Amino acid sequence: MADLSLGIDIGGTFTDIVIYDPGAGRHHIWKEPTTPGDPAEGVIAGTKRLLATGTVAAKDIARVVHATTLFTNALIERKGARTGLITTAGFRDVLEIGRERKFELYDIFIEMPEPLVPRSLRREVAERLDQNGALEVPLDETALMDEVEDLVERGVVSIAIVFLHSYANPAHEHAAARAVAARYPDVSLTTSAEVAPEIREFERTSTTVVNAFVKPLAETYLDSLVERIQGLEIDGPFSLMLSNGGLTHLDEAKRRPVQLLESGPAAGALAGAFFGSASGETEVLAFDMGGTTAKISLIDGGEPSIAYSFEAARTKRFAEGSGLPIMISTIELIEVGAGGGSIARVDELGLLKVGPESSGAEPGPACYAKGGDAPTVTDADLLLGYLNADYFLGGAMAIDRTAAEAAMGPLMATTGLDLTEVAWGIHDVVNETMAAAARVQITQRGKDPRDYAMLATGGAGPVHAYNVARKLNLRTLVCPPAAGVGSVIGLLMAPARIDRVGSMVSRLDGLDWDAFEALYKALEDDARAVLKGTAAELDRLQVRRLADMRYVGQDSEVVVGLGPGPFTRASNETLVEAFEEIYRQLFTRTRPGVPIQVVNLRVSLSAPVKGGGMEMARSADGGEAALKGRRAICFGDPHRFVDTAVYDRYEVAPGEVIEGPAVFEEKESTLIVGPGARCRVQADSTLIVTLPADGD
Amino acid sequence: MAKNQLSFDSVTLEIIWTRLISAVDEAAAALIRTSFSTLVRESHDFSCILTDAHGRSLVQATKSIPSFIGTLPATVKHFLREFPPETLFPGDVLITNDIHQGTGHLPDISVAKPIFVRDRLVGFAASTAHAPDIGGKIRSPEPREVFEEGFQIPIMKFHERGVTDASLERLLRKNVRTPDQTMGDLWAQVVALDLMEQRLMALMEHYGLDELGALAAEIQGRSERAMRAAITELPDGVYQSELMTDGVSETPIHLAMTLTVDGDAIDVDYAGSHPQVDRAINVAMCYTYALTAYGVKCCTSPNLPNNEGAFVPITVRGPEGCIVNPVFPAPGGSRMLIGHYLPVLVFGCLGDVVPERVMAASGSPMWGMNQSGVDGAGKPYANMFFFNGGMGATHRGDGPTCLSWPGNVSSTPVELSERIAPLRFHYKRLRPDSGGPGKYRGGLGQEISLESRSASPIAVSFLAERSVYPAFGIKGGQAGTTGALAINGQPTDPKRQYVLDHGDTVSLTTPGGGGHGNPAERDRDSLQSDLDEGYVTDPKAYD
Repeated sequence: MADLSLGIDIGGTFTDIVIYDPGAGRHHIWKEPTTPGDPAEGVIAGTKRLLATGTVAAKDIARVVHATTLFTNALIERKGARTGLITTAGFRDVLEIGRERKFELYDIFIEMPEPLVPRSLRREVAERLDQNGALEVPLDETALMDEVEDLVERGVVSIAIVFLHSYANPAHEHAAARAVAARYPDVSLTTSAEVAPEIREFERTSTTVVNAFVKPLAETYLDSLVERIQGLEIDGPFSLMLSNGGLTHLDEAKRRPVQLLESGPAAGALAGAFFGSASGETEVLAFDMGGTTAKISLIDGGEPSIAYSFEAARTKRFAEGSGLPIMISTIELIEVGAGGGSIARVDELGLLKVGPESSGAEPGPACYAKGGDAPTVTDADLLLGYLNADYFLGGAMAIDRTAAEAAMGPLMATTGLDLTEVAWGIHDVVNETMAAAARVQITQRGKDPRDYAMLATGGAGPVHAYNVARKLNLRTLVCPPAAGVGSVIGLLMAPARIDRVGSMVSRLDGLDWDAFEALYKALEDDARAVLKGTAAELDRLQVRRLADMRYVGQDSEVVVGLGPGPFTRASNETLVEAFEEIYRQLFTRTRPGVPIQVVNLRVSLSAPVKGGGMEMARSADGGEAALKGRRAICFGDPHRFVDTAVYDRYEVAPGEVIEGPAVFEEKESTLIVGPGARCRVQADSTLIVTLPADGD
Repeated sequence: MAKNQLSFDSVTLEIIWTRLISAVDEAAAALIRTSFSTLVRESHDFSCILTDAHGRSLVQATKSIPSFIGTLPATVKHFLREFPPETLFPGDVLITNDIHQGTGHLPDISVAKPIFVRDRLVGFAASTAHAPDIGGKIRSPEPREVFEEGFQIPIMKFHERGVTDASLERLLRKNVRTPDQTMGDLWAQVVALDLMEQRLMALMEHYGLDELGALAAEIQGRSERAMRAAITELPDGVYQSELMTDGVSETPIHLAMTLTVDGDAIDVDYAGSHPQVDRAINVAMCYTYALTAYGVKCCTSPNLPNNEGAFVPITVRGPEGCIVNPVFPAPGGSRMLIGHYLPVLVFGCLGDVVPERVMAASGSPMWGMNQSGVDGAGKPYANMFFFNGGMGATHRGDGPTCLSWPGNVSSTPVELSERIAPLRFHYKRLRPDSGGPGKYRGGLGQEISLESRSASPIAVSFLAERSVYPAFGIKGGQAGTTGALAINGQPTDPKRQYVLDHGDTVSLTTPGGGGHGNPAERDRDSLQSDLDEGYVTDPKAYD
């Protein structure tokens, strides 16, 4: 049996399916339209089609890896299960009161997100633990069962159980879950202690409720998908991509689907890390620009940076604070409302603005000639020579240049600029927006943009990457092949990975080191048990211990990587040093004299999966075969178009060096490189661009 | 972008402007992450700006809260008066927390760094941040003079040519409860200034700029024109509004506003308002301006960027010695107990002429409880917790529940509160029927009950308003319910300090927001939903 891998990434529009053959170093990718009514249907249809090509056999598929945006979409559309909440007496409104902050300062019409569980389905039960987990009021199980009975009568099929201070002692949550499960075995249950055992009741409740909301859907959907894949006689183990870029097994995914909310983007970031390292770059700014948004993530030391909380289902897209807080580990990703379809306009200050309004897929940019007349980034790119009207999506789509010109008319009238000045303006403004977002993101991590190489993916990424990289003074730009479908590749790179967190709030100088070590052990045991159910090679298990630490008096923590342990009183110095090192990196200076405390302990266990990793092989003739023509391109001076060589991306040969300016066209995207740059072609046909020194 | 092509067209200006905003936002990101102050980190109680050589602001960090509209550029102008350009050098950092030249209360420390290009002063990077502690009496309305409120820093140089004033540092450390943290935050502000300086200099070099005059004129000029255009949409006229606040210990405070719309300018006069008082609720004119301009901005041009130009068309005045223009040594530590009413007065003035742009009164100012004592290990501690009321309704919809307005201060999680203070919370829950009835209902307030579990006494003081005068409704909407403070079940004056013994309980009930429109016109499905969810228990108000 060959060790083939099957990767499935269900996105909003397309379901990407990849089969990878490590022996031959070959992959086969298929894009199947997503079937929103029954997403498994598209998966099966696409897989069948890929198998029907005859190049691979179902029995040779040794494992299946899956990522999906299904649960995020259910949350955004509020199409989850009817969910109830059981919580501590006096606190059922925690979910609705939230943290009491506005996400917009000047908008008196502000709309805060509605709680997922309406007040009438939030029920209180007498019970109370103190901040150390000690008993104050015993759990009233009789009252509990009365409330649950009423919830079930009202059609509730999933229940979240959240008690105050359960991060310190989950006994009441466990007891309540046991009692409910005994009487109502069909009701789906989620306790906060199992999904987010962290201090801060609103964020913990929010996370728990989200899990409860999507859990019944996850159970039905995943069971059905696995059954149907097995129906194709594919027997390899089934894993799912978590938001943190690790893999987990089916049961864990069904139990804690909240961890899968960002599984699609996580696959994309992993692909970025993979293509970065394959090109010798470990510090990577992954830049993925599509039709409506650009996503930016940072890869440090070859690994995507991880955040320990994020927001889902924002009421106002791109507005921080307008979503539901979720406390899980996730690939850190910022999203900017800047894509090929972003619309340009002149605002009340007479400034040219681009996005976040987008023409979307329908009607699309004006040049698509599908009824859109708003000037978009794609229209500007076309007029500047960045896109080839005759080779759009490999020639599959007709492009109307006249319509793009006409769309610029109103902007020319308002600004007094000519056609190419407006087009360059749109291109430059959208690039500045993305560069600004990247700068703030990098500063927040205490890094310098110049430390990073940019990795460009997405349909519009390679078109804009060169000029964005110039704005950030970057030296290197990496553009992998088939940049438009890169993220599904990430699925096959991923290790099995389980993260666990536990709360332990204590000053280092008063720490109970036995309890500290014991909590790490318990978290590791729990994670290891889950890993055993995956195809992970446990003999290559990597265990990482981390802690959320801060100076006493601070309100938020930094996550500090600690050694492998075990920790004893003698470890105090090591922990102080580890904390101070990262604190200095992020914030330039430490605060001598201020005591340090730990708040949460985290473990991250990962192990490579059999058949994981990838080598990409290819062949090309290079030279004259690759040069397909020349065209005039604008590189910053709207009145000077530079005659530029256009290469067929599929034909440039490994080892070749091409001087900018140059255009590399492939079906999914176009890489544009300016004068003074130098492009090297890697063995896997990745292009590595060295930018000239005098950045924009 | 080609160099030496400086025409400030719609594109060039947009790019430079975005880059300037990105510079102050980067500095803000660094400041938020490094600060010890909860108010800076969680509530963004800070500001970062770049100004031209005259102290006129070009850009302000996106996350800064409204309290700082116009205050920091005014502070930079005060710096310039004290230290004219010929006395400034590269590496200098100026500092003050003077309440009249700063932001109206001492915890806000403002710093500014002059920026030089080829030996010529081109502008300032400046920052204000709420310090973790500034000494003096624990925050409450009780101080009678500014001297009781903490350590005062007159305008001076914190750094001269890069060298720190060691005497100032020693004095400051000696006078505050948390010397490491207060100094640490001050250093964080300096790092933010350095960052803004570097970014501005890089930008100027890139565009070949020797000075900022033309750029500043363009940014400020366009903003000013946009604000004037927005004001022109308001009908000309002289509009008046007034309201009563709970004030201090049985002295209600009367606030009066006359707002004149004259073509493309707005003038606001507080004549007729109560004289200054010997309690810490006076509002220095800098803060009066900020909160008044905030109200105007909400009604006219909420999306306009904050810079000097946007506020040129708005003038604000008040008789010297009145509560919104007090004279030294009036205290102002709890200035938001008056200041947060000022945008409500603006809405009151404009509500009749542009009813679609205003909101009913909110259950604000925010409520807070300050406690200090000695913990089990014998160490002194002090904490402040905040609680918000409901927001007012608008013609578009119900007021949001328990939301900070016009400030933006988050509440502390109960689980954290119980960990950092010897308190047990019994409940923190919505207050049914507290939202003012209306076609659109006011947002609900909340009720909190907590108990002292401390072996030793705890001193507590409060920030609390609208326990006498409720948040009124508009256009036929009714008022929200008033707030209340009780200790051991007894109604209590929230403007005084108390001592809690073990087992004593405090209950805080925050006010609801006012309603909008006739309650009888409320959509019956919405009313039924309110009844089902328990937001409203008695439908009679909606008959």
